[in-house]
Amino acid sequence: MSNKKIQMIPKIECGIVIDHIPAGDGIRILEILQRDPGLKNVPITFGMNYQSNKLGTKDMLKIQKEDLCERTIQHISLVSPGVTIKRIRNFEVVEKVSIQPPIDLINLLKCLNPGCISQNEPGLKTHFVLSDPENKRVTCVYCEREFFINELSPII
Amino acid sequence: MKKHDLISMHDLTVDDIQIYLNTAARVEEIPLKDRFTLLQGKIMASLFFEASTRTRLSFEAAMYRLGGNVIGFAEQAATSISKGESFSDTIHTVENYADVIVIRHPKEGTSRHAAQISYLPVINAGDGTNQHPTQTLLDLYTIVKSFKKIEGLRIAFVGDLKYSRTVHSLLQALIKFRVNEFMLVSPDSLCLPEYLKRIETDFPVTFVETRHLEDAIPYADIIYMTRIQRERFPDQIEYEKVKDSYCLNAKMLKVAQNTLKILHPLPRVNEIAPDVDETPHAEYFQQVKNGLIMRQAILLYVFEVQL
Repeated sequence: MSNKKIQMIPKIECGIVIDHIPAGDGIRILEILQRDPGLKNVPITFGMNYQSNKLGTKDMLKIQKEDLCERTIQHISLVSPGVTIKRIRNFEVVEKVSIQPPIDLINLLKCLNPGCISQNEPGLKTHFVLSDPENKRVTCVYCEREFFINELSPII
Repeated sequence: MKKHDLISMHDLTVDDIQIYLNTAARVEEIPLKDRFTLLQGKIMASLFFEASTRTRLSFEAAMYRLGGNVIGFAEQAATSISKGESFSDTIHTVENYADVIVIRHPKEGTSRHAAQISYLPVINAGDGTNQHPTQTLLDLYTIVKSFKKIEGLRIAFVGDLKYSRTVHSLLQALIKFRVNEFMLVSPDSLCLPEYLKRIETDFPVTFVETRHLEDAIPYADIIYMTRIQRERFPDQIEYEKVKDSYCLNAKMLKVAQNTLKILHPLPRVNEIAPDVDETPHAEYFQQVKNGLIMRQAILLYVFEVQL
């Protein structure tokens, strides 16, 4: 049976759809959503491995809340750059944006270098710059070390 | 007046570096007696949270040579940080007393942080294993004085290439000047970190890695020796394994090019035998002398003093 004929995740009346997630990244985005205190008790549906003309297979998330906070969107953009965020009102898409990671990542990731001042000075926000977007590498502004994004723990 | 911080070689263009080199050359031309009034009335805060001999004394001597004054401390134990004060509180306190802040600190990124929070210019005198830009500028000045050029030189770095901030800073600067071939001589455990080899350039950069100092001697225009730094090793057993990896002596230099120069940021332990001091290749004490000149140039640039 063609995957297209299978009922997709039911439509939502109002909320956010995260679409065009490369298959496999959805579970990582779900982890980010689970850490967002603003999404506690918010219904979230998650679908995996749908057919996609653009990606081959894709994951999708539907969140029954009017908006996502900026930090959560930034975290999602780091894990899976290029995913589409659609705002849904009355079952219709009213806004659609493809998200890309910011150039300056302020207090989003924890530096892995134990000798970095950002790990040792109370209250100092971490700061990375996206030094190699293609390979998802960032450089700490303080200790100047370069890391893969997925090596670093997120700051919630 | 614009705030001129000196934090990392990353922040400097070739033109910026050239300004420091030209200023240093100009400082040397000015008789000592005529320099005494250039920074009269200015105060430099010398904040050394980590032990230092050359860098601290050289900065302080540079400030005195220019007619300025110095306040500060030479170790963290003598500060309120040892009582639990935050680093940022220390900076906000000191900025009331001085016109420029010079910082050495064992944690990487400390000078960057200080420059962000202080309205005074901040000079990085070494931050952990990260950067040592004033050493790099004096190294470049020494190289230019010896060879009249930088591009095209063949440079071998020897010793602790993993933790040595002087190597990290100088390597980045040399690549800015289009030096495109390096020999890296180190034990396996002290290799140059990979992230330092991934430098974006519009020309290919070659790193030749070897464990043998003998490979570097006939090859190089400059051999940059470093000390194996006991204090950087998390595991002292690892230090004991590699501490005597390299010892350059005068006999080994018989196969060197006549123009070879040996540089070392000092202090040395046993990596350069004393008999090398007598050879025309030894340039490390000249570096010390150039350090005093370069640090005067840096201070004059900070205060926008035209020569």
